[in-house]
Amino acid sequence: MDWVFLSELAINGALTGLLYSLFAIGLVLIYKASSVPNLSQGGLTMVGAYVVLALSHDAGLPLWLAIPLAAVIMFGLGFGIERVALRRLAGRPVVMILMLTLGLDIFLRGTTLAIWGGTSRSVDLGVSYEPLFLGDIFVSRIHLVGAGVALALFVAFMLFFRTRTGIKLRAIADDYMASWSVGISVERGVGLSWALASVVAVAAGVIWGEIQGVDQALSLLLLKGLTVAVLGGLDSILGAVIAGIILGVVENVGADLLDPLVGGGSRELIVAAVLILTVMIRPHGLFGRHDIERV
Amino acid sequence: MQEKVEAQNILSMNSVEVLYDNVMLAIKGVSVQVPTGEMIALLGSNGAGKSTTLKAISGLLKAERGRISRGEITFQGTDITEVLAQNRVGMGICHVIEGRRVFEHLTPDENLTAAAPRGMSRSALNAEKEKIYDYFPRLAERRNSQAGYLSGGEQQMLAIGRALVTQPKLLMLDEPSLGLAPFLVEEIFGILQKINQEEGVSVLLVEQNALAALEIVSQGYLIENGRVVMHGTAEALKSNSDIQEFYLGGGEETDFHNVKHYSRRKRWLS
Ligand SMILES: Nc1ncnc2c1ncn2[C@@H]1O[C@H](COP(=O)(O)OP(=O)(O)O)[C@@H](O)[C@H]1O
Ligand SMILES: [Mg+2]
Repeated sequence: MDWVFLSELAINGALTGLLYSLFAIGLVLIYKASSVPNLSQGGLTMVGAYVVLALSHDAGLPLWLAIPLAAVIMFGLGFGIERVALRRLAGRPVVMILMLTLGLDIFLRGTTLAIWGGTSRSVDLGVSYEPLFLGDIFVSRIHLVGAGVALALFVAFMLFFRTRTGIKLRAIADDYMASWSVGISVERGVGLSWALASVVAVAAGVIWGEIQGVDQALSLLLLKGLTVAVLGGLDSILGAVIAGIILGVVENVGADLLDPLVGGGSRELIVAAVLILTVMIRPHGLFGRHDIERV
Repeated sequence: MQEKVEAQNILSMNSVEVLYDNVMLAIKGVSVQVPTGEMIALLGSNGAGKSTTLKAISGLLKAERGRISRGEITFQGTDITEVLAQNRVGMGICHVIEGRRVFEHLTPDENLTAAAPRGMSRSALNAEKEKIYDYFPRLAERRNSQAGYLSGGEQQMLAIGRALVTQPKLLMLDEPSLGLAPFLVEEIFGILQKINQEEGVSVLLVEQNALAALEIVSQGYLIENGRVVMHGTAEALKSNSDIQEFYLGGGEETDFHNVKHYSRRKRWLS
């Protein structure tokens, strides 16, 4: 195999992988606070993209204004979800919260379908599709931009978790009861984690919307995002970044090797294999904590 | 006269009943008074209702689907029965819950930061931390390691330090001696006494280790089966033959058949 071609596959795989990470960071934020994988993160990402479109294409705002505004709206929506739905489930089994997030995902898909219909719309970020060559290697500009956004969010959250509010959120992730006992508002902390995950959803929605168009299929990103989050350890943001890169590279290089043998479609198989093998061999993922057991 | 008593007691709990899940009656009319600035012990064997009593005071009952079905609790003269747990912390009630429960994945320093009240300035927090590290020099040495890897004694110290950051007026501790070597219990209880004297913090101490507890408190309550069966000064309790037999005699299991016996004793004690 050609070395240049292989590095091109690997580098583009890594960039795509960072876009999975961008999605997975939202999952991790909520998992940390609630110990539940948020099955509606795909729906939130889709809604994030639709809100940006509504503000820019429908209301006529420029994108540089529409995106931050959408982030603010989604931040509020995240808080609202905790207030209206999650708070009632406090103290119930985690599986009930999981089912709630599934219901929420279905609800969000139905709502966007009702309001905006099912035709795919484009974001028009204005990123050029001219090929960009790094030496001999071709990379996609939009993927490069998205990977940059993912890394920027990663750094931002690492810094955030060292602030006093961030430390309180980590305390909530560790122990609800102990948090209450020292006056930390667990409810507000969980709400904040949903709000932040919803902001991440805007970023992921814009980038992925630019790549594949904005429609209900955006919510299916959940499957790869979950795989990345599980491989990374579900509660580690660093894990989500590294697992994203790993999955992206393995998927891209693996599919190139396998597709000729099986006649295509091996990408999904590779993702499935990574998810299943992680759960079987290393359930805590690459960077997950070993002692989370909260009911 | 009644008001004077109120003013002297930072906490007054009157005939409180607690129900879990609306069916399980865990305490059946408990009355406990904590005079301002004093240290009071709540003694009793496993399942007696000690932790439930503390949770009723701190408001943490709600997190376990428990509620106060009768009676009332006043703190500094204010009825707090309906106040949210987090607001009770703001009023000055802090509950060091059973089993230490430090934030394991945070460092001791971050554990203290996590407990900082809203609006506490960075310099005030740092000063508070230094004061806590002065009380617990062992913690100072390990302030940046992961709290989950501290020894049991160090974790208990951290749990107490973390509670102090909330600026409590009433500090409640649930079995802080559990599983600790006697020399550590002595060290921690000594520090509690120092905190009580230097900061003027009132202390409500739940213990099965009556021997150690009665050394540092002024009064004690004995709870059995969800009821207060005895109340007296530490001296009176230490010399009481039942207490000696069941709680000071080396810590064997308590015999529940003696509950009635205590009730009878209570009458002549009061
Ligand atoms: N969360 C709960 N739900 C139901 N019953 C409880 C709960 N916590 C305690 N109890 C019951 O209440 C009684 C008192 O328990 P507790 O207050 O924990 O006693 P202690 O702290 O003195 O050991 C026990 O019978 C216990 O089984
Ligand atoms: Mg107990």
